[in-house]
Amino acid sequence: MSIATMPGTEPTVVLTQPSRQGWWRRFRRRPPAVIGLAGVVIVVLVAVFAPFLAHYSPVVSQFGHVLEGPFSPGHILGTDELGRDELSRLIYGSQATLEVGVLATLLAMAVAIPIGIAAGYYRGAMDMIAMRITDVVLAFPFLLIAVGLAAIFGPSLQNVIVALGIAQLPGSVRIARAEAMALREQDFVQAAIVTGVKDRVILFRHLFPNMLSPLLVQASVSIPAAILGSALLSYLGLGVQPPTPSWGNMLASAQTYLYNDPWIAIFPGVAIFLTTLSFNLLGDGLRDLFDPSMR
Amino acid sequence: MRAYLLRRAGISLLTLIIASIVVFLGVRAVPGSPATALTGNTNFSPAALAAINRAYGLDNPLPVQYVDWVGQVVTGHLGSSPVTGMPVTTELGNAFPITFELTVLSMVIALLLGIPTGILAAIRRGRSADYASNAAALFGLSIPSFWFGIMLILLLAVVLKWLPASGFVSFSVNPGQNLAHIIMPAFVLGTGVAAVLMRQTRSGMLETLRQDYVRTARAKGLSEWVVILKHSLRNSLVTVATVIGLQFGILLSGVAVTEEVFGLPGIGQLTINAVFQRDYPTIQAVALLTAVIVIVINLVMDFVYMILSPKVRLAGEPG
Repeated sequence: MSIATMPGTEPTVVLTQPSRQGWWRRFRRRPPAVIGLAGVVIVVLVAVFAPFLAHYSPVVSQFGHVLEGPFSPGHILGTDELGRDELSRLIYGSQATLEVGVLATLLAMAVAIPIGIAAGYYRGAMDMIAMRITDVVLAFPFLLIAVGLAAIFGPSLQNVIVALGIAQLPGSVRIARAEAMALREQDFVQAAIVTGVKDRVILFRHLFPNMLSPLLVQASVSIPAAILGSALLSYLGLGVQPPTPSWGNMLASAQTYLYNDPWIAIFPGVAIFLTTLSFNLLGDGLRDLFDPSMR
Repeated sequence: MRAYLLRRAGISLLTLIIASIVVFLGVRAVPGSPATALTGNTNFSPAALAAINRAYGLDNPLPVQYVDWVGQVVTGHLGSSPVTGMPVTTELGNAFPITFELTVLSMVIALLLGIPTGILAAIRRGRSADYASNAAALFGLSIPSFWFGIMLILLLAVVLKWLPASGFVSFSVNPGQNLAHIIMPAFVLGTGVAAVLMRQTRSGMLETLRQDYVRTARAKGLSEWVVILKHSLRNSLVTVATVIGLQFGILLSGVAVTEEVFGLPGIGQLTINAVFQRDYPTIQAVALLTAVIVIVINLVMDFVYMILSPKVRLAGEPG
């Protein structure tokens, strides 16, 4: 094969094509990863079909039914301090939780991948700038970024998404940069460079598609981190504003009733825990699959 | 090696300068005039506004304001809280020891739990001890720290009544009470970091146990413990040190919410109260202080990294 024809036929594509079917077979052999995937699918379905699954409104108070215990008639998980059905609020609460987790990660990826690829491919000044940006972001804990945004724009779900997205930039930039550096030295990229393929084509056709698996692994650990972060922020009152339910703000109001009615503090936490656990199990499974040396 | 140290210190200083500019501009991005942000008043006559702008130097160009501000910060003048009227430095001085004690104690718990279980999991790879450690780490990574805190309060304070649910007693007033108040929040924070350290130690150990020099050490007839602790662990700690530095910023966010759950009047609670009271001088000071702490810790961790890693120590440049 002459060098001139190589850029069109990257060896990695040839390698991944036949193993695509084996991918699912190998994934299926890891029970924790399959359980994680099932958990993620269930949470997504609950969030999407919330209006059909919930029997009660998550926001309308029923003062005749305040703080009824679990298994009370009509309310299998009881009611909260305003008489709202706990299960219905949990079901609707999944929407804000998933929205933040997924959108914050997408936002971080959309910004981080171009920066990381450019830094790793061009090195030099570009790299220096990218690394200083990540250093500065790392110097501010995500809570402070959220605090700053809340102070400037007022507390809202959008600010939580932006704050958590910014907080995830450093990790994603570093991964895209490391991958771009490694890929740049590969023969098929070097061949593309010497044959005069445009930089834009190299970056998007040769580098980006070949770093999808580490980025996917990064996304699978970013989403649960963002979910925990958003729960933390709404617990502090900086995120989803009442009466809209989120698992974090449900916990915040439940803490007042901890002595007499602890169950309303237990269920939202279990929901957060099971969701992040599912994403983490899935993420571990994907990492084992793509990077066996980490096992 | 010296050149590397200087280069790292220079980069940290540059990061610090950029971070301080971000903090400086942040307060000026607050809706309304900076005079409102800094004094907490909203209704000024034009004359009063001009007087305040002159008093705070807000009528100067931004670069001049920035240099003035840095000068004040370096000499310890961070302004006064418009809410309490107290100097921000006094407020920080009162809150800092509590947060410091909480952070140090939780780091100690994290190291004591995370590193031994990581070693155990690596040398018993694929056996029940490995699975148990991994499951515990996954639990620690997935559980929301503040909910874990609430559940511990429910169990240990409400049901069993062993520990107080919230509040703080200074060490100098009553050491026993101090420990009783701080041990639960420190445990909550420590277990979260321990989970990350465990996983990092385990994968680092698995990596080094495969290396030729470990095989050589075993072949020399060294005892298994010497091989594990001296040859393998020491080199695994290189990456663990970096992770501790990176975890620190995350830990500080956790500290704030944990203080809120346990009613500890530390920096975290100060910050959260400041946000809801629109106390911008305090927010500004906390943001700057946090950035300084995170940057300094990461610089120190770089030096630790260098001391631990013979590759870096000898070559003078990290790989």
